[in-house]
Amino acid sequence: MWRVAAAGDRALLVTVGTTIDPALLGQVLALDRALQDRRPSGLLGTVPAYASLLCHYDPAVTGADRLEETIHQLEGTVEAAIPSGAVVDVATRYDGPDLPQVALKTNLTPARVVEQHAGQEYLVYCVGFAPGFTYCGALPDEITVPRLASPRLRVPAGSIGIAGRQTGIYAVDSPGGWNLIGRTALRLFDPSADPCTRFKPGDRLRFVPIP
Amino acid sequence: MIEVIAGGRWTTIQDRGRPGLERFGIPPGGAADWFAARVANELVGNLPDAAMLECTATGPTLRFDVDRIVAVTGGQVDSAGWQAVRVARGSRLAIGTIAPGLRTYVAIRGGIDVPAVLGSRSFCQLGTFGGGFGRPLAAGDRLPIGRMVGHEPVVEPWPPSHRLPLPGPWEVRVIAGPQTDAFASDALGRLSATACRVRPDIDRMGLRLESPGLRLQSQEILTVPMTAGAIQVTPSGGLIVLHVDHQTSGGYPGIATVISADLALLAQARPGDTVRFRVVDPAEAARAARRLTDWLHTES
Repeated sequence: MWRVAAAGDRALLVTVGTTIDPALLGQVLALDRALQDRRPSGLLGTVPAYASLLCHYDPAVTGADRLEETIHQLEGTVEAAIPSGAVVDVATRYDGPDLPQVALKTNLTPARVVEQHAGQEYLVYCVGFAPGFTYCGALPDEITVPRLASPRLRVPAGSIGIAGRQTGIYAVDSPGGWNLIGRTALRLFDPSADPCTRFKPGDRLRFVPIP
Repeated sequence: MIEVIAGGRWTTIQDRGRPGLERFGIPPGGAADWFAARVANELVGNLPDAAMLECTATGPTLRFDVDRIVAVTGGQVDSAGWQAVRVARGSRLAIGTIAPGLRTYVAIRGGIDVPAVLGSRSFCQLGTFGGGFGRPLAAGDRLPIGRMVGHEPVVEPWPPSHRLPLPGPWEVRVIAGPQTDAFASDALGRLSATACRVRPDIDRMGLRLESPGLRLQSQEILTVPMTAGAIQVTPSGGLIVLHVDHQTSGGYPGIATVISADLALLAQARPGDTVRFRVVDPAEAARAARRLTDWLHTES
């Protein structure tokens, strides 16, 4: 059952679930596409993340009730599927400052942490927080660690971090609380490019260790 | 051309921002006190999308090399506010200390004509792009003036009855949601019964508030998209009210969301000010928004 809640007087948040699950992302992306096709009057834009979709609207044109009704009409009728695309290789130098701590906390050797992190494909669940920041999941249980107790004030662009069952790539220098295990030279955000980010939700990627 | 003699504490170029790019992680941005900014453009006869200066706490000093019509609105400064004035060629405009209020807007007839990035001239702090220089203004910067003019400057000062109150304590209206149900059933009631104090570490991304005795319990949730006005509760019970340059997604639950009309008010809250939240329904939020747009339309 989709849950629709007010996010202020100009947006609704549709929540389809509370876990990191490709099927839930599939529902979010399907709803997103359906709304873009249907273009309900007053809908200004949408923002997908993991298992929820934020819908900005113009209250002078439509009411929250009307938009909510449209969303509920789409529930169960949209085809929940993640578009299949090529898997993008992210060349990764695993020399992050938190790699030794992650190894300690997980009772693994650093080499084994890298093997686990680089050993599977990931789905992009969200681009958000800061420009181009790419949230991916889900991490293998063996390398699940909590966020840092106190976030860093500045994490350099290209840093690759892990937190809980998520792994993410910082696209711009920003504050951050994830455990940094590596970095990539891949440019994830370019304000002069179209689209301005390298990834979008539903994309697939793989971290490829480089010396 | 206008030359920056002193940059001030944190002066950035802002327009109406770049809403609609949140899915790329880009905050909507734009003037934090959108109402004062809108009035400033109106007074000098600019189009609503023209870019201006947003000054914070201490404003810049500018030197004009041609006659310009200027309007200063928002937080109070020494120079004549809320009216279009002529600044003569060769003279200086010193904004100085801002109080009461925190943010002052300086609109110049024609608008500041720096290149638009992703559809806006606004400086984006999270991405360090836009705003002409990719940073706040500094001494020596030169500001080109454009032609984004829609009508003649307004002759009369903007009526005080059609401005938002400047000194706190602030009563800020909120709508429940989106994650009110992640909290105890009495949490929202307790939040609205508590006076919160604005902490020193505030910026365009958000305001941190302290509320001794409130101690709301919350847990991190799966990352969700965020809006300006969201009142996030951190696991330690701290409150963060997101503002225009907010992170576009996050994992702290939002107990309530400030209505769009009162985001302008909150942009003027200073560290140490008292903020109280009052829960309203969507109908009252709509009336509050209509009141501000009516003010803009009756005066223009």
